[in-house]
Amino acid sequence: MLSIILLRLQRLKGEYHVFLIMTVLSLVFSFIFGMTQSQDFTPTVLIVDMDESTYSQMVIDEFKNDNTFRYSVANYDAAATQVEDGKVLASIVIYEGFDTDIRNNNIPSIGVIKTKEDRDIFTLNSIVANITSKVIGNTNIAEIASIYVSELADADKDTLFDKAYNMAVEDWRYKKPVFIEASTLEQGAGFSDDNLTHSIIGFSLFFSMYTIVFAIGEILNDRKNNTWQRVLVSPISKISILGGHLVVTFLIGLVQVSVLFISGRYLFDINFGVNLGVILLILSAFVFTVTSLGLFLSGIVKTHSQLAAMTPIILTGTSMLGGCMWPLEIVNNKIVLALANITPQKWAIQAMESIAIHGKGLNEVVFPALVLTVMGLIFFGLGVKLVRFE
Amino acid sequence: MTLLQISNLQKYYKDVNAVDSISFDVKKGEVFGLLGPNGAGKSTTISMISTLIKPTSGQITYNGESILENPKAIQQKLGVVPQEIALYPSLSGYENLKFWGHSYGLRGNELKNRIAEVAEIIGLKDRLKKKIEKYSGGMKRRINIGAALLHKPELLIMDEPTVGIDPQSRNHILETVLELNKQGMTIIYTSHYMEEVEFLCSRISIMDKGEIIASGTQEELIEIVKGQKKINLKFDRITKELTEKINSISYVQNIDTQDEEMVLATQNGDNIFKDLISKVSETDSNILSIDIKKPNLEAVFLHLTGRALRD
Ligand SMILES: Nc1ncnc2c1ncn2[C@@H]1O[C@H](COP(=O)(O)OP(=O)(O)OP(=O)(O)O)[C@@H](O)[C@H]1O
Ligand SMILES: [Mg+2]
Repeated sequence: MLSIILLRLQRLKGEYHVFLIMTVLSLVFSFIFGMTQSQDFTPTVLIVDMDESTYSQMVIDEFKNDNTFRYSVANYDAAATQVEDGKVLASIVIYEGFDTDIRNNNIPSIGVIKTKEDRDIFTLNSIVANITSKVIGNTNIAEIASIYVSELADADKDTLFDKAYNMAVEDWRYKKPVFIEASTLEQGAGFSDDNLTHSIIGFSLFFSMYTIVFAIGEILNDRKNNTWQRVLVSPISKISILGGHLVVTFLIGLVQVSVLFISGRYLFDINFGVNLGVILLILSAFVFTVTSLGLFLSGIVKTHSQLAAMTPIILTGTSMLGGCMWPLEIVNNKIVLALANITPQKWAIQAMESIAIHGKGLNEVVFPALVLTVMGLIFFGLGVKLVRFE
Repeated sequence: MTLLQISNLQKYYKDVNAVDSISFDVKKGEVFGLLGPNGAGKSTTISMISTLIKPTSGQITYNGESILENPKAIQQKLGVVPQEIALYPSLSGYENLKFWGHSYGLRGNELKNRIAEVAEIIGLKDRLKKKIEKYSGGMKRRINIGAALLHKPELLIMDEPTVGIDPQSRNHILETVLELNKQGMTIIYTSHYMEEVEFLCSRISIMDKGEIIASGTQEELIEIVKGQKKINLKFDRITKELTEKINSISYVQNIDTQDEEMVLATQNGDNIFKDLISKVSETDSNILSIDIKKPNLEAVFLHLTGRALRD
């Protein structure tokens, strides 16, 4: 096995520029995609308060707690023009009488000014519905509670209402997390935000897959050079031959992703969390899976050029599906989401994001790592069966 | 002493019978020739001996041990020079030799010294720095041979090692083979060049269409066509009448005509000249030249198959 490992390392010396190109390309793409996505990904929503009551203020406060969009208050005319000009996604209008409607248990009037129907608008609609019903619900609870309590004790009804309302709000936070609760980690200045982090993770994984698949695909070149056959005739056992190629491919892959993530860390100031061991665990699992995938692909094709033709299709396809290019959160299609589960990329991204964006640790990573390992073992088994030892 | 024994060896590729139940043995210290035209099954036979592919049926033993059951019995002792160049194109000649030596267990100084020795043998001393892809065809062939020599194999199998190279490299290779044999290496030499096999080999098997059609020493093989002569005749013109007249000579067995040339295969033709000249004088044609060839392996092949060894 040592012979093969040394051989592969020696050959790598002549091929390092491929490795470098992959690294640079990956960083450039992560950056471009990260930037474009973060620009249109958090659109602004204007709020027009025509009611100007305590209730409308409550609603506005709730909106401001929401992280999906950027909210700011404006007057009606400005709100309408800006929507028309496409400067903001939409405007929410809290009409006059909102407060009386709530008090009288009528359906309150709240509107959305928009120019198109798209994914973001759907999201906004449901946020509006959620927030209003929440405020109405909390108001009712607080109302009933304060009346009830004030009848018992001789207390001030308004103070009690405030208290009860706040308590209800607190309860909502835990029981019904309508809001994206994951408050983003503060990440200093620069471009760093979730989208860039996602993009760096996605593209690093995506590009490193090429390096890995083609590194193991070298055995097809060896067959063309007849060196594969010659090695098989030597006293080196088949296990050692395959083992040598796999070990080197695994190491190349691990170095590639590490270089990419370290570059991401220092060039774009992305924080991948502190637990290096956990990161290494998930990356190793991923690299193992892709190495095995590469072995499998090298087994089903006959020549390296067939591999070169097939790999981009498979890697790009599964990477889109698995969420390397854009976050799966913006995908609605159930079939697509279900299919995503069979791509290794999805699990690696999920694990890496739970570390980098949500600040989670080992517990969140164990399951994805297991899934990746199982996938890897399946590909490995098939690959060993399919690779021709003659 | 028999080193390698092959019995009823057979290989099917789907329905192609590449090797059809062949048997032969190779004795320690000899140069054994495997002669046959393209597609005869030589390479397939070698692939089975070198444990690269499994036979459909039959047995191969090395030093009495079955290599089908235990490939290790032969692998360390065997050097194979494949028909196609089998080297890493992006590595230098030196790096290639180093790897192949390493894969046969050579390390450190031993490996280094051995590379130097092999470089000398293949005539590329101090010329191993270039990448393989930058060498000429003949040099690649030599390194291809060198890669099989590093571990001083007991048995060396060479599969058409001189295909497509210049006469100078070819002579060098043939001399190298004889030299290695003189030092005690047993060699199986495969070729479709009759002259090479005649020059090198003590015993020969002639293969055709997957079968061994004749085996033995050169003398034994030529005995098959004993008394047979091949005569090349050149005429000013060849007519139907001329061909018929010559064919009527009893010991003319076969006539091959091309343009103004005629090749006769004859048996026991002691009076061949007299008879030929008298027959030709009965026609309008004139003999321009006569060339009588001694029987060789080519004639043996022609005799056995009715075809020339090379097309
Ligand atoms: N992998 C294979 N699959 C199918 N048929 C094959 C395969 N390898 C060889 N053959 C067939 O087996 C026969 C013998 O081929 P082989 O290469 O052993 O001949 P050879 O004597 O070495 O010829 P050459 O002088 O051209 O090298 C040929 O008909 C060839 O087409
Ligand atoms: Mg051949």
